[in-house]
Amino acid sequence: MDFLRKISRSTLIGPLGAFLLVAIIVSFATPRFLHPQNLANVSLQVATVAVVAIGATLVILTGGIDLSPGSTVALVTCTLAILVKNMGLPLPIGIFLVLILGLFCGAINGFFSSYGKIPSFIVTLATMSIYRGVAFLITNGTPIFSVSPALEPLFYGKFLGIPLPFYYVVVLYSLAALYLRNTISGRAIYAVGGNESAARLTGLSVNGTRMLAFTFSGVTAAIGGVLLAAWLNSGSPNYGQELGLQSIAAAVIGGASLVGGYGSMFATLIGALTVAIVQNGLNLLAVPASWQEITLGIVIVIAVGFDMWRTRIFQSIRHLRKKTPVDML
Amino acid sequence: MGVELQIQTESSPCEIKKPLLQIYKLSKAFPGVQALANVSLDVFAGEIHALVGENGSGKSTLAKCIAGVHQPESGQIFFNGEQVNFHSPLDARLAGIATIYQEFSLIPSLTVAENIYLGRYPRTRAGFVDWAKMRRDTLAVLESLSLTLEPDSIVGSLSVAEQQLVEIAKAISLDAKLLIMDEPTAALGLRESRRLMELIRHLTQQQKAIIYISHRLDEVYQIADRVTILKDGKRIDTVSINALKMSDMVRMMIGFDIDQHYPKEHNARPETLLYVDRISTENGVREVSFDIKVGEVFGLGGMLGSGRTEIARAIYGADRIVSGQLILDGKTITCRSPKDAVAQGIGMIPENRKSDGCFFNFEGTKNITISRLVELLRGPFLDLSLERKYGEMYIKRMSVTPTALERSIQYLSGGNQQKVIIARWLFSKARLLIMDEPTQGIDIGAKLEIYRVINELTANGISILLISSDFPELLALSDRIAIVRNGRVVEITDANKLTEYRLMAIASGVSELEITELKN
Repeated sequence: MDFLRKISRSTLIGPLGAFLLVAIIVSFATPRFLHPQNLANVSLQVATVAVVAIGATLVILTGGIDLSPGSTVALVTCTLAILVKNMGLPLPIGIFLVLILGLFCGAINGFFSSYGKIPSFIVTLATMSIYRGVAFLITNGTPIFSVSPALEPLFYGKFLGIPLPFYYVVVLYSLAALYLRNTISGRAIYAVGGNESAARLTGLSVNGTRMLAFTFSGVTAAIGGVLLAAWLNSGSPNYGQELGLQSIAAAVIGGASLVGGYGSMFATLIGALTVAIVQNGLNLLAVPASWQEITLGIVIVIAVGFDMWRTRIFQSIRHLRKKTPVDML
Repeated sequence: MGVELQIQTESSPCEIKKPLLQIYKLSKAFPGVQALANVSLDVFAGEIHALVGENGSGKSTLAKCIAGVHQPESGQIFFNGEQVNFHSPLDARLAGIATIYQEFSLIPSLTVAENIYLGRYPRTRAGFVDWAKMRRDTLAVLESLSLTLEPDSIVGSLSVAEQQLVEIAKAISLDAKLLIMDEPTAALGLRESRRLMELIRHLTQQQKAIIYISHRLDEVYQIADRVTILKDGKRIDTVSINALKMSDMVRMMIGFDIDQHYPKEHNARPETLLYVDRISTENGVREVSFDIKVGEVFGLGGMLGSGRTEIARAIYGADRIVSGQLILDGKTITCRSPKDAVAQGIGMIPENRKSDGCFFNFEGTKNITISRLVELLRGPFLDLSLERKYGEMYIKRMSVTPTALERSIQYLSGGNQQKVIIARWLFSKARLLIMDEPTQGIDIGAKLEIYRVINELTANGISILLISSDFPELLALSDRIAIVRNGRVVEITDANKLTEYRLMAIASGVSELEITELKN
């Protein structure tokens, strides 16, 4: 009984359920899904979304939303290509510079949506357009291919037989989880999202916390951009169109509440995996892209819906079993 | 506990009439809790019947059974002489029972008229809304209640008190015969409460029956004809209010005697902690000066809107101080934000616990430690096991229910939530605690605990700046009181030299003569 109550209260049950459901359906639908080669592919596909979703989650936890990471990704791939291919800078310096660029993109979002008092939805809607516009501007709208021979190994390389992106995801998620759980500013992110007014009256810096979350989001978008550039060894203003929404989808499937204050890194990772598996499965089944988007939408509704109904579902299970004390009268 | 249906003929003002509402042996259980056990009750037309009891005593459940929100497991309800069986609040509403909850059901962006006729707009023949008729009807309803509201005012622009009146007008326009009011004055100031009381009396002249639920016993004494005391889901007694002393009522509610309603200890020491030197703000605080001693409870008395909350906010750094200064421990301090104030050792128990105090996404422990997370640092990281130890310590010290360790504080009672927030400032080692309406909306048992905590805090040298609309409470808890009117401190006196009536007189600017009349 205690176990049942724990499950019913665990916020992971919805995301995990959705993930397992999707995984089971896909593996039944196509045997190729469980092939090691394909699973390695999935881990490659999930990397970019998963990394970008870290920032999306931080922003959502503070009660904001970031629509711009997809555009930041595009801008980063273009800038990296120009810096390295056209201007001949060494790759590490190029990567360092685009990470700084991402930091600035995020800080701009953060500044206007905290100190500037403009709703983050509006701010990032604007910068979503602006950042991609800049990407078109600096490339004249044409993709830049074959950026650097040193770039591809960053994505396709392996360590101990496992593709590098797997390590990136594990390391970044561990760091992000540690940050959220065990640092003062991580706790402040939850507090600000949970109750902004109470956070202010408890002496936390609400604007500073918001600003920080957006800045982190810019940085993770930039890391996602570098990964994407390495994956395709190119930069293009058209990259990353779907990343903004997919990263939000990952966070939401993972149970993050758009009101703020609820969600976790591990849950978002499960959400990102769910998104990736849906895409991969549909790819294997040669389903047209339009149906992929429709399916993703349905998965979001089921995952979030299950989370919303969870309490009631478990309550009725308990009612069937009778004799449970309801401790919240 | 078979309580027989009995009408107390000698005390009832309506003995010849049949009751409008009769409840016979009503029982309702929730999983794990018998919320109501064989409760019987009768309410007459033209009567104000108060329901009192601690939180969890069943009074809200009883009200909800009458209003069709809950369906009782056994027992009968007779309304207007007929047995009724409400399946939903709508059934009850159609039968003529309206409930006015603490949270309003009004839509802020619509006008008074639109709110009153929401969902049943009068139509012209062509099927369009008949605005003229709606306005006329609204005026008629408002007039019948002697209310001077404009039908075209946007509800969101009205004060909380006026919104409450709109809510009542809405119920009357629905031709309700019985009104259930659940803590109607919780959000109101004194003057507004008094106006509401007048309106309620007015309603009884129209032969409406009122079931009045309140934590504020002084109000119950002012307004009720009879009172029913509930405890643990059982009816303890129903008595005429004139036949019951307040101390007896309290004893029946909590089930034991309290020697003193307010167990005040005087812990003020001679040293001054904070000296407020002629501070003014843009939102109406004017040249306010006072000093708070170490271990003192310093009360700010005043009507709602007198500027007492603004003074507290200025000290806390939530509003900007344009002139004057704050001197803490002999040193001038500047608080540009609550962050600065917290760093100086000032804490705040906000008036609105839910919207400004609680983090519902955190369990009790995190709600406590949030005020001083640095305490938990091991290197750059928070030591979560240390946090848990602190949580257990403070939750035990404040005797908060242990549930607070595991679950979000949204599942705690108001009193427990308040104690968690006080614990937050104990943890931050605050030396001055600003308490804005600390006992609002919590039951007597929990209030007593808060009083006990205040004594404990002051004994440990913590000073308290107390704001309360409950004047008897303010008088009993404070060492000294500054009376505030129009943003100025009018008078600073020892609390034991002040009576409730004098406090009210000075705070409202009424001459003392008038107040003596009001007293009689």
